[in-house]
Amino acid sequence: MSEAATPDLKGRVQELIDTMINPAVAGHGGFVELIDVQDNRVYLTMGGGCQGCGAADVTLKAGIERLIKEEIPEVLEVLDTTDHSQGTNPYYTAGKS
Amino acid sequence: MGGEPRLLLLLPTRTYRTEDFVDAAHTLGVDLVCASEKPSTLEALAPDGLLTLDFGDPRDAAARVAAWTAERPLAAVVGVDDVTAAAAAAIAERLGLRASAPAAVAAARDKYQMRQCLAAGGVPVPRFRRIALSDDPVLGARGVEFPCVLKPLSLSASRGVIRANTTEQFVVAFRRIAALLGRDDVGVSGDAARYLLAEAYVPGLEVALEGLLIEGRLHVLALFDKPDPLEGPYFEETIYVTPSRLPESVQSSIAATTSAACAALGLTEGPVHAELRVNDDGPWVLEVAARSIGGLCSRTLRFGTGMTLEEIILRHALGWPIATLERERPAAGVMMIPIPRAGTLREVKGVDDAKATRHVEDVVISAHTGQELVPLPEGWQYLGFIFARADGPADVEDALRIAHGQLRFVID
Repeated sequence: MSEAATPDLKGRVQELIDTMINPAVAGHGGFVELIDVQDNRVYLTMGGGCQGCGAADVTLKAGIERLIKEEIPEVLEVLDTTDHSQGTNPYYTAGKS
Repeated sequence: MGGEPRLLLLLPTRTYRTEDFVDAAHTLGVDLVCASEKPSTLEALAPDGLLTLDFGDPRDAAARVAAWTAERPLAAVVGVDDVTAAAAAAIAERLGLRASAPAAVAAARDKYQMRQCLAAGGVPVPRFRRIALSDDPVLGARGVEFPCVLKPLSLSASRGVIRANTTEQFVVAFRRIAALLGRDDVGVSGDAARYLLAEAYVPGLEVALEGLLIEGRLHVLALFDKPDPLEGPYFEETIYVTPSRLPESVQSSIAATTSAACAALGLTEGPVHAELRVNDDGPWVLEVAARSIGGLCSRTLRFGTGMTLEEIILRHALGWPIATLERERPAAGVMMIPIPRAGTLREVKGVDDAKATRHVEDVVISAHTGQELVPLPEGWQYLGFIFARADGPADVEDALRIAHGQLRFVID
């Protein structure tokens, strides 16, 4: 059975998103929403310029996840639940080189 | 991050390959660092995970990474496409990591240099000439044997590749390629911005070979048939199906020719993607790229008990053992959904029906609604990808065609 996050853990993740992550990704018209924290795994969605963006995985794994794990070491993983196929204004659109 | 080997992935912001390589890095549990040609909005907050590099200047990229690694040693570097392969090779050489020599990768990136190396090595290639874009195209057509194919020196996936059967068609194609290369968003420089290649049109079947070089030896990972005829005037890639239905002797000849091409270029380590034509005279090498297959096409490939192509590439770069390079038994294929005409994509209909087609595993629409669509030869994107898997290649091809027939693209 999965374990819901303590209010403290979820609150700390939310604060990090509000104060550090969202102000940064807003530079590309994006935003991140915290969906839940279960079993020390953070579930979020990426919207605006991040939704469908060709660099969304880089932002998530090399940026957001790294930052959250550095600031809150008990977080094990950050998982993206976004339906990127529904993005209508991605900042980077993938294509051939 | 706690002691895992650090891997640097070079990921252009516009590549289709990001998700599959990032997933593979995650599966392997490495400490992932991503470099792109444009800064991430999070780079200042996560300087240990994000870098900005000028992929067009491999020497500068290598110097920057060398400085960055002073306190953050790297175990491997991998470029995911043509653009980043040269920078990855330069970084690897500077840091003593596993990769082909930068000169070999650079030769593979420039179609003229590539043909010179292959011809010098006795590898069958079409007759070719490099022509300056500043030349008069009518004069440039002199001495060219028709039909011929004109192409940029450095773009990939058939972008800017045009067949000409007459001098008049040559002139039109020449001007069209010159206009394409002059566009700001194309971003070519050096010889690639000043010349194009004209080469003899080689009739025959076309195949794509996916391979991995280990200490100079080519391991064939998959040979794809391209069942749609590619006769021009443009060369839109659509269906890839593996295993090949060509006779074993022909497949062996294709592998031997590709191996000879890699040796002629000096490629020794890492993934290679080769395109060849096959006719009564045997295989002809059209391209050997020092990278893996493009788009999302690698999703057709699984090895052993489910390892992805990207895991194999990363394991090789890290010097980790690879349990097997043998592809799974079922046939597999992909259709790169072509853009039928220019316009704005408004809606995609029939995706659920396409996904429900027997043997179809997935349909990924990678274009987004509202996106401006540009068909070949200027275009640089696909509408999406259809993936199928079945017992035999004929069933895979049928499934891809049926699924594609279910899709309707509303473009205005």
